[in-house]
Amino acid sequence: MTPFKGPIPGANHTSDTRNYPWHRPPDIVGFDEGVEYLMKKLAEPESTELTFSLLQMDMPIASVCNVMLRQLVSKGKIGIDLAILLAGPLARYIEIIANDNGIKHEMGVENKNRIAITPTMLKISMGIVDDDDEEPVVEAAPEDDSAGLMAPPGAEEAVTEAATETQDEMLGLMENEEEEQV
Amino acid sequence: MKFEEAVKKSIKKFLDGSVPEETDAQTEGGIYYTPDYFDAMEESLKETSDKE
Repeated sequence: MTPFKGPIPGANHTSDTRNYPWHRPPDIVGFDEGVEYLMKKLAEPESTELTFSLLQMDMPIASVCNVMLRQLVSKGKIGIDLAILLAGPLARYIEIIANDNGIKHEMGVENKNRIAITPTMLKISMGIVDDDDEEPVVEAAPEDDSAGLMAPPGAEEAVTEAATETQDEMLGLMENEEEEQV
Repeated sequence: MKFEEAVKKSIKKFLDGSVPEETDAQTEGGIYYTPDYFDAMEESLKETSDKE
């Protein structure tokens, strides 16, 4: 398909073609209208039972909202933008009815990656160092004087050049000379 | 941003007392279901349950 043959952005909202529900204009477009719909929906016995059951299974309210809103978007009831806007009122309403019915719940929007503020952290950031907080000074381990087999030669052990005779002996040249002399 | 993250962010903002500003401005008379509305609702439910 060439770029010019494709549909223009938003063409799905003006089309009468029956395709996926979320491709058609949503049924609810107003904020207050959406909140009213959600409150009525939650008042239904099946929805109430399901919501309370999920909360009793330690599911956070944010996740319950996520599931409910996704379902409404997939059915074409609300648009995805409105779904995000409705998340706040829906979560608050669920919290209120859960409190009213004595159901333990967790909102699930707390940032668990947050670094907790501790007195030590504050002291460090303010540059205050207590005597107790000072790190103990670790004495340096004495250097090992004994040179190992693979130890590098030190300054004292400067390589001295062997005498010419010794070198010839090591190379086996001395023997040849002796043989020649014999 | 994923839908789940957007939902969490929206909830957090609403609980902090924020309302969608543009929606509020475009709605005649402003948004009805504000955080204050839900606070009042919670209070009235508490009072009702205390009386019972």
